[in-house]
Amino acid sequence: MIYKWFLLHQWKEMKRSSIWQKNLAINIVLGFFILLMLMYLLMFGLFIDKILYKLFPDNDPVVVFNGIILYYLGFEFFLRFFMQSLPTLNIETYLHLPVKKSSIVHFVSGKSIFVIGNYLSWLVVAPFAFKVILPAYSPAVAWLWLLSFALLVFSNNFLATYVKRQLVNNPKVVGIFGVILISLIILDYFNVISVSAFSSLIFSELMQNPILIIIPILLVIFTYSLNYFLLKTKLYPEEINKEKKSKIDSLANIKYLKTLGFTGQLISLDLRLIWRHKRTKSLVYMAPIFLGYGFLFYPNPGYEDNFGFMIFIGIFMTGGMMMNYLNYCFGYESNYFDNILANYKDFEKYIRSKYLFGITIATVCYVLTIPYVFFGTEILLINTMTYLYNLGFLSFVLFYVATYSKKRMDLSKGATFNYQGMGASHWLSMMPAFLLPIFIYLPFRWMGIPMAGLLFIGALGLTGLLFHKSLLNIILKQFYKRKYYMAEGFRE
Amino acid sequence: MIEVKDLTKDYSGTIVLNIQELSIKEGESFGLVGNNGAGKTTFFRLILDLIRANSGFVKSKNVDVKQSNDWKYYTGSYLDQRFLIDFLTPEEYFDFLGGVHGLSKGDLDKFYSEFEEFFNDEILGKKKYVRDLSQGNKQKVGIAAALMAKPEILVLDEPFNGLDPSTQIRLINLLNELKKETRITMLISSHDLKHITEVCNRIAILEEGKIIHDLKTSVDTLKELESYFAV
Repeated sequence: MIYKWFLLHQWKEMKRSSIWQKNLAINIVLGFFILLMLMYLLMFGLFIDKILYKLFPDNDPVVVFNGIILYYLGFEFFLRFFMQSLPTLNIETYLHLPVKKSSIVHFVSGKSIFVIGNYLSWLVVAPFAFKVILPAYSPAVAWLWLLSFALLVFSNNFLATYVKRQLVNNPKVVGIFGVILISLIILDYFNVISVSAFSSLIFSELMQNPILIIIPILLVIFTYSLNYFLLKTKLYPEEINKEKKSKIDSLANIKYLKTLGFTGQLISLDLRLIWRHKRTKSLVYMAPIFLGYGFLFYPNPGYEDNFGFMIFIGIFMTGGMMMNYLNYCFGYESNYFDNILANYKDFEKYIRSKYLFGITIATVCYVLTIPYVFFGTEILLINTMTYLYNLGFLSFVLFYVATYSKKRMDLSKGATFNYQGMGASHWLSMMPAFLLPIFIYLPFRWMGIPMAGLLFIGALGLTGLLFHKSLLNIILKQFYKRKYYMAEGFRE
Repeated sequence: MIEVKDLTKDYSGTIVLNIQELSIKEGESFGLVGNNGAGKTTFFRLILDLIRANSGFVKSKNVDVKQSNDWKYYTGSYLDQRFLIDFLTPEEYFDFLGGVHGLSKGDLDKFYSEFEEFFNDEILGKKKYVRDLSQGNKQKVGIAAALMAKPEILVLDEPFNGLDPSTQIRLINLLNELKKETRITMLISSHDLKHITEVCNRIAILEEGKIIHDLKTSVDTLKELESYFAV
């Protein structure tokens, strides 16, 4: 069985990847956070009927829960879109061997069922099925319900990988998706259609007619085939490469950057790096998603008083793109890092150019979020404060962490099968820096002076900006200390 | 020009390089031969401060390469494709490196005309990114880039690899002319014993990280090398 070998190779690749070779302390902290999250989920699942009863005392909790499921799947879809890495397999290693092509494609298409995200929701759903549905209906119904939920999660998984893979080739697809989702939210908001009523209708029908389980099964098969046939058409390496033969762009001739001397030259190099690799380019196309995040939350009343959550949104919107750049800025250059070490003389300017580029990205994002002021002036205030925090604090944290990158990122490989190092572990390790401002803010809120908390976050950022020279110096020293390790990792 | 003392490098306990003492004088062309894993690339990486030595030092013009960036102003190098920025066109790459080395527009034009023959019309004006060039053409770009700032020290790791026969001969001629016309110090490694004897006036054999022979090139050198590597 060839699948056995594929699985074995993948397992070894994962086990031997440098993700696990971080230092022990980081792994322990991460492990602790993960355990905590799992516990929360399980608790949530055990008590969700009580919560639903509190929130909607007049309704049957099963009906309410069924009404949420479609929303949940939509939310999960977006989460997957950002956090889930595309399943990959180095196909060129196998293509020349007497292995059936369809086996390779089946493996790559099906691999995503091993993603842990597929099973996390079970922690919530399974307790609900056995604690609430089972006594009210019957064991058979509970199992049926659970099974159809699991199947829907799997089809969601396949759909997300399909869309993500499409995005790599065709960024417009995600735009269309965003438009559909936003219009659904708007329509629901104005009570034109009700997603929740639809959702609960589907599931109550399903609980009455077991035969309907065929629908989620067909959905899984359908979404799986989407992946299968997409990959099948892309299997020849030369077909992947064919798209790469793009026209030569003229990004090298930006006048303004030329006036900035070496720093400008370095920024221009980074611009071209981002624009000329599919993988980084697709990040640019993701910008509307980062920036559109506010639309999901600002229109809903109730969030207005919840500054803590809005701070998180603000940081994410004004800093998300900057993070994508700063956190990987050395890794992006792993292909020619030796050249940098052997030729650059002025590393101060090198570091500075990266910082400048990073905060320019954040500034552009900030300016683009200004129109959200339409939803309330406090949104502008929050985004301004979080923007300052991003410039003067988060940027340095990301930059500092970037010096610990050791993983070669082969951007020049076709992106269809290549999404290494962009998964959940990376986001998780950045969480503390994103959450810190909320921890700063909370005590102020408990004291009844939330505004002071906000200003404090902004002040923290301003302080960082004022001392940016010394902070960049620290990063420069750190760079000197880490450069051999980075170069060694990048050579692998 | 280059002084090496007590230089050792080990990877998890295995010593891959151990050079007690080596001095390369200005104007010398120093060839390095040895089988795979002998430590050639490791040695060059240490000279370019790309890896950290476990002990000892490399001094370039009497300054430890670890301690200062000065050597970068007069050292040109090409070790492998990791030196190329492959999403640029060759012109953009040379333009960028010209900026790094502080070359003027005139210097750059002069460089292009000097390397016209070496490029053999396969590099410039092709509207291709470096990543879309063939292996041999990538190698040409890298070697030319190492030479563009008129370095006093040139470090090339297996430069003949992947070049077509004509370009190999052009490279030999180019290096020999440089030797004649300037005081350039060259460090070149190769698996091709014939080529290296044609270019270098001093050849060292590296085995398991140690320099076991250090020969002045003469008419017999090629034979000596061949008999050493014979199986």
